[in-house]
Amino acid sequence: MKFLRDRKVRDVLWQALATVGLVVVVVFFVRNASDNMVKAGIASGFQFLWRDSGIEVPFNITGYKPSDTILALLWTGIVNTILVSAAAVVVATVIGFTVGLMRLSHNWLLSTLAAVYIEFVRNIPLLFFVLFWYFGVLAALPTPKESFDFLGVAFLNRRGLSIPLPNEVTGFQLALLAIAVLMVAQIGLARWAKARQARTGRDFPTWMVGFVLCGLLPIAALAVAGVTTSWDVPTLRGFNYRGGFVLVPEFVALFMALSTYTAGFIAEVVRGGIQSVRQGQIDAARALGLTPGRVVRLVVIPQAMPVIIPPITSQYLNLIKNSSLGAAIAYPEIVAVFMGSALVGTGQAIEIIAITLGIYLTIGLAVSAFMNWYNARHRLVTR
Amino acid sequence: MKTVCRIAALAAFFTGSAASAQQLAPSPTLDAIKARGHIECGVHLGLPGFSFANDKGEWTGLDVDYCKSLAAAVLGDATKVKFTPTSVQQRWAVLQSGQVDLLSRNTTITFSRNATLGVNFQGINFYEGQTFVVRTKAKVAAVKDLADATICVAAGSTEEKTAADWFRERNLKVTIVNFQKNDDAISAYDQGRCDAYTAGIGALAGQRIKFKDPNEHQILTEIISNDPQGPVTRWGDERWQLVVRWVLNGTIAAEALGVTSKNVEEMKAKSASSEVRRLLGAEGKFGQMMGLSDDWMFNAIKQVGNYGESYERTVGMGSALKLKRGANELWTKGGLLYSPPFQ
Repeated sequence: MKFLRDRKVRDVLWQALATVGLVVVVVFFVRNASDNMVKAGIASGFQFLWRDSGIEVPFNITGYKPSDTILALLWTGIVNTILVSAAAVVVATVIGFTVGLMRLSHNWLLSTLAAVYIEFVRNIPLLFFVLFWYFGVLAALPTPKESFDFLGVAFLNRRGLSIPLPNEVTGFQLALLAIAVLMVAQIGLARWAKARQARTGRDFPTWMVGFVLCGLLPIAALAVAGVTTSWDVPTLRGFNYRGGFVLVPEFVALFMALSTYTAGFIAEVVRGGIQSVRQGQIDAARALGLTPGRVVRLVVIPQAMPVIIPPITSQYLNLIKNSSLGAAIAYPEIVAVFMGSALVGTGQAIEIIAITLGIYLTIGLAVSAFMNWYNARHRLVTR
Repeated sequence: MKTVCRIAALAAFFTGSAASAQQLAPSPTLDAIKARGHIECGVHLGLPGFSFANDKGEWTGLDVDYCKSLAAAVLGDATKVKFTPTSVQQRWAVLQSGQVDLLSRNTTITFSRNATLGVNFQGINFYEGQTFVVRTKAKVAAVKDLADATICVAAGSTEEKTAADWFRERNLKVTIVNFQKNDDAISAYDQGRCDAYTAGIGALAGQRIKFKDPNEHQILTEIISNDPQGPVTRWGDERWQLVVRWVLNGTIAAEALGVTSKNVEEMKAKSASSEVRRLLGAEGKFGQMMGLSDDWMFNAIKQVGNYGESYERTVGMGSALKLKRGANELWTKGGLLYSPPFQ
């Protein structure tokens, strides 16, 4: 019994006991649930994932068809969730930083506008916001026969934005490859410029070159690819435009709602982060003769980032989870297609909810891990 | 003396138990209903004609009437029902978990539901058939004219799959947009997101009332499916299932036998028909066989009416829906309604 006096041994023992206890509890509840379900005549297990789904998904980029399995349906839902979340995260960050900086502006009009936006957005229930965007978007758009016509190739109406799709993709693959090469070149260039500046103090117009390398050249490459391939142009047939790709209004409404809503919270986080930088730092930077833009970019933001990133991470996680409100407006994300259609079709609530939880958990942990890594990498080196 | 006493006591015990109860199978649901004094009935969120709460919060409709009949049969009072509105998605969990005693809410009987959800369907109180509502100015005459259309539907309903299958089998392309609630699908259709909304023809007759301008919409007469609907119970508790099944049969039998809420007392006292007398508890002690009082169907018919009365009042000519009896007419009059005999 002497070894029990060793603190390390005791710690391990307690943790082992807690783990075993947890496993026993989980196993007990899982078995209990499955026994009760068998008794009640409710099907259980995961075989249903390989059954035909038979459910139409009006918006997918996975090539899903109703004759595919429920597993494929789940995958389509995951992709749609990630698609709308990723797009909204980027735009929410841009709007959030802009509004956050506006809020701190000495210009009365700008800071008041920003304050009104933040208070308005933060005090409205998100579901209401989503429905507002959805029915707002629908009401603002014309019927298919009266579509807004963009040069006869793209059409905007209540069924969504129909855009042409290329019949051949090789040209575009080559263009994308070229873009990737250009981006690598840009990163190399930026490193070289930075090193040279450190060595010689000479500045290099990295941004200007980057704009040409990563902005203009890719557009040219895509244009070449676009001209050389044939296109599947949407045409009005019967009720709707057919052919091409349709960006559905549900996506647009959910994307707008999530990005504008989360931006309000991000703006406050950014404001808090910037205000945490001591005035002395800013004064010192000004005294050194840095331009106001550089003061913000080189002194304020790097010191504010460690304060900003952790709360912004939780805003990103909130946004991803909030994308489940897409179910209310028929955007086919995980909750709508899997916990909605598939669950009612199969009745296997426990399995489906467990899988959905697991997926949100995985996405959330991945985002957290990435943000932690980013934060650690950009932490200020204090001397 | 002691022995005599014991024998007498034993004899009394056996005769007593034989007389007081022909042994009934235990029914936890019926016991619970009697203990709490009301039936928990799962209904639709709001479907005029079937289950709809009016501005005073009173539930009306064909499915609601059935639960009232059940309450009258089990508890002797048709008002002793608590209605729980359930969505398409919730309904099974609400029933399986025991939150409600039964569902009576426009739910289609299908094989896979019966085989995998642990539920039993106790008969048919409405023969529904799926169709579409479209804008009158769209000039749609038949369902196949909806090729290339966008169709709004409630996710997880039988309509979702039926519509997808129907167009796919005919190599017609449609876009189906799945909403979580019927009402969301309807308002999206009304807003112009879709060219059509699909549901049962009876349900559509009720939903149409909700449109901004009902006259701009037209319900197609072509039917693409058979959707028999009726009360649903969970597996187990056979005696409760028996009650649910036979109250429904009783309301149909009453119509076939000419028993109405108006003449039910006279029929019970004077009818020469043995089946009427057995139905109303004048002979045969049928109620007791299920553990109910013998005037179970008498109460149900007196307080709620027979099937036909209920139909006319809720979805038929006496209602805003003005649905003809059609398939929901007695088999003797060309419909499909048929009750097994009360014998």
